[in-house]
Order: sequence, then C-alpha cells, then structure tokens
Amino acid sequence: MNMLKNLFQGNKLVIGIPYGWFLLLVAIPLLIVMKISLSEMEATSVSNMISWTNGLPTLKLNFANYQFIFSDALYVKTYISSIKYALITTLICLAIGYPFAYFMARAPKHVQPTLLMLIMLPFWTSFLLRIYAWKTLLVSNGVINNVLMSLHVINAPLEMMNNSFSLTIGMVYSYLPFMILPLYANLSKLDLRYLEAAADLGTSPFKAFWLITVPLSKAGIIAGSMLVFIPAVGEFVIPELLGGPDTLMIGRVLWDEFFSNNDWPMAAAVAVVMIALILVPMAILNKAEAKLEEA
Amino acid sequence: MATAPKPQTDSKAITKEVLLRVEGVTKIYDGTVKAVDNVSLTVNKGEIFGLLGGSGCGKSTLLRMMAGFEKPTKGKIFLDNQDITDLPSYQRPINMMFQSYALFPHLSVWENVAFGLKRDNMPKDEIAKRVDAMLTLAQLNKYAQRKPHQLSGGQQQRVALARSLAKRPKLLLLDEPLGALDKKLRETTQLELVNIIEEVGVTCVLVTHDQEEAMTMASRIAVMSEGYFLQIGEPDVIYETPNSRQVADFIGNVNMFEGEVIVDEPDHIIVKCDECTHYVGHGFTGNKGMAVGVALRPEKIMLSKDKPKGEYNWAEGVVTEIVYFGDHTTYHLKTAAGHVIKAQEINNTRDLSCGLTWGDHAYMHWGDLAMIVLTH
Amino acid sequence: MSQASNKVFANGWMLAVYLFLYLPIVTLVVFSFNDSKLVTVWSHASTRWYSALMQDSDLLSAVFLSLKIAFLSALMSVFFGTFTAFALNRYRHFRGRTMLSSMATTPLVMPDVIVGLSLLLMLVSLQHWLGFPQRGLFTILLGHALLGTAYAAVVVTSRLKEMDGRLDEAAMDLGSKPWQVFTLVTFPLLVPALVSAFLLTFTLSFDDVVLSSFLSGPGFNTMPMVIFSRARLGLNPTINAVATVTITVVTIAVIASSFYTSHIERKRKREMALAYSDSNQ
Repeated sequence: MNMLKNLFQGNKLVIGIPYGWFLLLVAIPLLIVMKISLSEMEATSVSNMISWTNGLPTLKLNFANYQFIFSDALYVKTYISSIKYALITTLICLAIGYPFAYFMARAPKHVQPTLLMLIMLPFWTSFLLRIYAWKTLLVSNGVINNVLMSLHVINAPLEMMNNSFSLTIGMVYSYLPFMILPLYANLSKLDLRYLEAAADLGTSPFKAFWLITVPLSKAGIIAGSMLVFIPAVGEFVIPELLGGPDTLMIGRVLWDEFFSNNDWPMAAAVAVVMIALILVPMAILNKAEAKLEEA
Repeated sequence: MATAPKPQTDSKAITKEVLLRVEGVTKIYDGTVKAVDNVSLTVNKGEIFGLLGGSGCGKSTLLRMMAGFEKPTKGKIFLDNQDITDLPSYQRPINMMFQSYALFPHLSVWENVAFGLKRDNMPKDEIAKRVDAMLTLAQLNKYAQRKPHQLSGGQQQRVALARSLAKRPKLLLLDEPLGALDKKLRETTQLELVNIIEEVGVTCVLVTHDQEEAMTMASRIAVMSEGYFLQIGEPDVIYETPNSRQVADFIGNVNMFEGEVIVDEPDHIIVKCDECTHYVGHGFTGNKGMAVGVALRPEKIMLSKDKPKGEYNWAEGVVTEIVYFGDHTTYHLKTAAGHVIKAQEINNTRDLSCGLTWGDHAYMHWGDLAMIVLTH
Repeated sequence: MSQASNKVFANGWMLAVYLFLYLPIVTLVVFSFNDSKLVTVWSHASTRWYSALMQDSDLLSAVFLSLKIAFLSALMSVFFGTFTAFALNRYRHFRGRTMLSSMATTPLVMPDVIVGLSLLLMLVSLQHWLGFPQRGLFTILLGHALLGTAYAAVVVTSRLKEMDGRLDEAAMDLGSKPWQVFTLVTFPLLVPALVSAFLLTFTLSFDDVVLSSFLSGPGFNTMPMVIFSRARLGLNPTINAVATVTITVVTIAVIASSFYTSHIERKRKREMALAYSDSNQ
C-alpha cells in the first residue's frame, strides 16, 4: 500500500498547489468582485453586506449599481459600442489573417519557421510601445500626414487620430497575431491529400477551398476569433492611447470609475456585466480548443 | 500459415516450477469498462509465455498489471509465491521492454542501460562491468556513447532489450517487441531477441497482436478476447486443436463447415454438412444429432480434377479465385451450396502444380484426422 | 488565376501584412535618432535622446523595478505553471479538473482590467483582515505571476503532450521512485519548455501596464507605467529611445534562440538520417 499512499500524497500536492494558487487569485477575487458590486460605496470603505442586528446576520443586497448601469443610456451605449469595436476588430483580423495563415501554411516548409518567427517577433516586443508608435504615425502632424503632404497627395492633414479609425487600426494591429497563430496551427496540419482528392474528383481549386479547406479549419477560425474578440471587448490601453471622446469602450469606463471616481462597487458592477457578456464567447472558445486538441 | 522453427518449444530451460501466478485478476476502468475479466494463469520458470489478441482485448492491461503500472480491481498476482499485487513497479523484480522502446532521449546508450542499475545503488565499477557485458550481449559496444535518435530501429530495439535485462529481472515483459520494425527486419531481429533471451535464461511474458510472432517465440500462448482467455496452450496445440470457433478463426486460416452429427462411435463420428460428409477419425464428447462446426485448415485440403473414392471427406466446387503467394497458392472454390472453401497448395515445382484455373471444376479431399470438431 | 499570379498574390498579401506589423516599429526606431524635439518631423540624426534617457532617473529606476519584477514573476510563473500543467495532464481524472482548467485559462482571455480589478479587491480584503500585503512590489508580482502561470502552463502542457508517457513508466519500471522519475527523466526533458516559458512570462511581465496600475502602491512605478503616463500626455522622444533599446534586445534574443533551435533540429535530423543509412550497410 506504500506506493499508493505515496502516489496519493504526491497527487494531492501536484493538484493542490495550482488549485490553491488559482482559487486564491482567480476564483475568490471574482467572487469578491461580485460581492462588492452588490454593496455601496461609503465614505471610507465599501459597505458590509452582512450586518448584525440583534445578534442575527442580515444580508443586505444592493442592486442599485446594476439598476444604474441598465437605466443609464451611456453605460448601455458603451457596452454596445465595445462589442461593436470588438466585432469589427475580429472580422478585419479574420479577413487579413485567414489568407495570411493559409499562404503561410502553403509556403515552402523551410521558410515557414522564419515566417512564423516574424509574426511572433512584434508579439515579444512591448505592446505599449507598439501602440505608442501608431500615435506617432497617425497624429495630424504625424509621420503619415507629413509624408503625404510633402508628396502633395493631400493638402490638409487627414484626421486619423483619436477616432474610430485609429482605434480600429490599433486593435487590429495588436490582435492580428492572436488570429494568425491558431489559424496557422490548424491550416498547416490540413492534409493536402484532401485537396488532391477533391481535384481528382473534378473540383476547381476555388470550390475546393470553400468546400474543404474552410470547413476543416472551422475550429481554428472559432478559436482565433474568440481569442481576439474576448480581450478586445475589455481593452483599455488602446482606446486610452488611440481612441477619442466618441469611441466608447467599457474598459475605459471601468478604469475611470475605479481610478477617477473611486467608486469601487460601481467598477465591480461594470466588471460583472462585462464578464456576463464574454461568458458565452468563452464557452465557445473552450469547445473550439478542445476540438483543436483532438485533431 | 508458414511455420518457422520454434526456438523455445523444446528448450530444456523450462521447468515445472511456477514463477508467476495470476489469480482471478479483474480490471475495471471508470467503474464500467471491464478490460480484464477474472483471468488466471501461471508462467513457469524459463518459459516464454505469449498473450495474443486483437487491440482492446485486454492483453496490454494484463501486462501493465504485472509490471505494476495498473492495480487490479480484483484478484492477486504472485511472483515466486510472494504477493506483489500492491508492490509498486519500482520495487518489483520485473522489467519491461516497452512498445516503441521508450528509450530516454536525453541519455546515451550506455546511460540508458545503466539507468536501472544506478537506482539500485550498485557500486560504480560493478555497474560498468554489467553494462559493458549487456552491450556486448546485444552487440552494441560501438554505439555506447550514442543517443537513441542516432540509432536505427533495430539498434534501438537491442538497447531496449539490454536495458530491461541489465537488472537481471526474474521476469521480463515484452510489449509488442517487434511492432515498431518493418517486416524485413523482423525476422532477423526476432531470432536475435530469442537467442539473447535464451542465453540469459530469463522468463518472459510477451504481448503481441501478431500470431506469427506469438507462434514462433512463445512456448505457450494465451489467446485473449474481450478481457478473458479463450484458450491457453502450446502453439501447435492452439493451431491444431483450437477449442472454439473463435480461436480457430483467430489463429491462421480456417474453413468452417456447419453440420450435424449423424454417427457417434467411440473411435469415429460422422458429420453431415451441406457440401460433404465428414468422417472424423476420433471420438468426441457430445451426442448424436448435435449441431457442430467442423474446422478444416486450407493446407490440409488436397485438390484434384478426378473424383475421389469413397463417400466421405471430399467436396466439389468451381475455382473462383487463385491467390498466388510465391511459396504457396490459395484456391477459392465455390460449392453448389454457395459456400467458398479455401485450399492451399504448396508450390513445390515451378509450374503451378495442379494446373487449375479460373472456372475449372475441381474436387477437394482430406484425411480422417485433418479436421477439428467444435461444439462452441 | 494562373499558378504564377497566385504566387504573386500570396506573396504580396504576406508582404503587406508584414509591412503593417513592422512599419510602426521601424518608425519608432528611426525617429529615436532624430534630433528634433518634435517626434514626427525629421531634422537630423543624433543620439541626444539616448543621452537624455541616461539622465532620466525616473525612467531608469522604473526599468530596474520592471526587470526585478519580471525576473521574479517569471520564476514564480514557471513554478506554478509547471504544477498546473502536471495536474491537468498527468492526472486526467480528479474531481474539479474542469474547474482547474477553466481557472487556468481565465487569465489568458479575461480582459486585463477585470483581472486587475478583481485581484486588487481581493488583496484589499485580505489586507483588511490580516493587515498585509501592502500594495507595492509584492502585489504587482502576484498579478504578473498569475498571468504568467496561465501562459507557462500552456507552454509546459504542449511539451508534456509531446512527451511519451511511457518514459515515466520506463523509469519507474527500472526502479525509480516517483520523485526520481521527475528529477531524472521528466525534468531534464522539460528544460527547453521551461526556458521558453520563462522567457515568455518575463516578457509579459515586462510589458504589462494594466495589472501593474491596479496593483501598484505609491512609489512603485514600473517602466510601462511611466511610459504609459507619458504617452497619454503626448509624444515624447525619450520613449522612442527606450523602445529602440527594448526592441533591439528582444530582437537579438528571439533571433538567436530561433537560430539555436533550428540548428539543433537540423543536427538531429542529420544524425537520424545517418543512423538509418548506417544500419542499411
């Protein structure tokens, strides 16, 4: 029985350590966020949900924050706008990334590692600095406008900064690798014999692409799209640096509630609603990744 | 089925002393899936015992329970009369040669072979002596410093064998030992393997799905299906006297005639089938009127164009298929009843011996003792 | 479309995407050598912003703090990430496995602001009850280590999946106790994955601004926090200089490591080919 006992203890430790770690840093914090979102801000601290009256605990739930979020037009608009930008980003990333991943998977085997490295390289360099770089390119006296004006293509600087254009460019730029990598992983595994079989059976390359390549890369498309969509919904840095007053994003609202208004319960409520919005995409992602693993 | 020489069958090393005893072992996965179902067996010292069966028959699970990687749900395993059921694998004097070898990729050939000895805290010079001896035995001396990926498949296989023998285990487990090699390499490697095992004199349990491998290497075979043993016996016994339709069908090729016993005498029985009447030259435990199967191996059937004499043990048919194997040819003959019977002729001359071709009408006949009567 | 025009289209598409990815980076680097105070107008080449960078004590101490946090959090990430990967891959059936795997993927996809906010609220509650931890280096470290653990677990998992599970059994079969199986077989084979997990989580930590902003206390400004606060105000040539230095270091490291791995891979393939031709003689 010695081995079983040893193994069992080893088991407990190997599972227990990460379990404790994630419970402490993921599960409990999310529960606390939920709890605080149901309380209200008092002068110095967050109010206690459970108060003791006559020795009995009374649960005091405060839905005011949620009521406020759903009744205030600005919050609702911001959520919708966040989803809109995340969706646009996802679609553009897919439109650019799918052909790219496809061509990369069809490139000669010996150059593929280099092509892949070139996609990963920006990913390793600071995200913040790359977003900042777009600022220098897009501002009205920025590099692009200067070049275009000196070439007399335009007479007045284009308004490319602090609007939905700059925001979308920044988001697509940052999230494109997240789309390309799962798609490439998926497409590079695709058995070329399927396409040969299709050609052999009289299918044109264009038709074969739609009838075989695309359906077989469905899991990659879904995984890539979710990997872009989910974090894009809550993005903060890009709208803060590249967005403008009209580009409403919920991540910024959360930040402002927390840092500027110091309203922690409100920030928590904003976060809870955001989590609710991305739960379904997250479930889809989990399913797609399980499918990718099988392949 | 080509029967190669059996190197182990007549070996004097086999004694009647029991080394391994498996008693009523059952393994159930996830509470429902019965991988091994109440299996018992004994392996004698010096024996090579084969576990033969298709994928998912439970042979690997049984082997893994012997190695200690799985714990039986029920039952006991004894080695040298000591209960090892609960002993962890690292304390069992049993070593395994893994399927596709599982050589440690970060260690050299020498270090791979020395790995087990180091775990026993053996003195350094003794380890060196033992490893060198093992490498000599496996003819690997000049590869000692290579890493596994720098070896060919056959060499890797010998390293795996040397590694599993280095600790001088009481029992050696072989999991599909030739499975990773291509057909051509198999034959020579198989002989090498058996020679080394004989030289060391270690008792083996061999798991394979390849009946030829089991037949040629093992002194006894257990045919497994769906978690239990169909039959245990020496290879020729299993081949010539299978105890069921399933075993007869699994080992080699067989023609199965379904019929009814019409005469039951102590020294012979007669079975009436659709296409012929079998005169079987031995008695059987059953009674007149019983429905039985008569199994007849293709190589026991002779073909001729002339009608055989007598009323028993022949059938007629039309040649529908001729499959040429080089050393022998298999003819498929369709009888009037619509059954296809396979007959195998050895090509002992360079022209096709019986001169039959597609569409020819031919007679098949066989001896009184050529068939096996199966009641289940 | 003909074969040739297909090829032109494919190469053109890929080139355009690479241009899109690298244009901002190249601009940053080029304008870091611009003498003008206006970041976007080229005057003439100079290294004055690099000298300015060397004088910038705020930024330099932030860089130092970031390096420290990145190093420590990468160590923690690899440690916990390895445990996570083992729990999820070597023990396939235990109660709460799904719970663990979803908790481990949450930091990967959850927007940074939510991870930051939830961690901070937890730490504040903790401080409320226990009197510690104070917001500062330790709390930032926890946040980065959490994010890093999730990434490290992915890297280690993919290596564990490639590894033949029979190697562990072979080691045990040859007399290794479970801890010896780990130290003698599993760990040595994992080292390359652990190194890449370390590098990845180091970079993630060195790059993070959102978690740090939530979790930092007074006096603890990481490099991205400093850059972020300056970038919000407008363009600043010293940022270009910082960017160039970081980009250079990272590029050299990434290219060197990818050359190294492809060299190893090629050597291995050669040796394998040799082994087979050897045996055929």
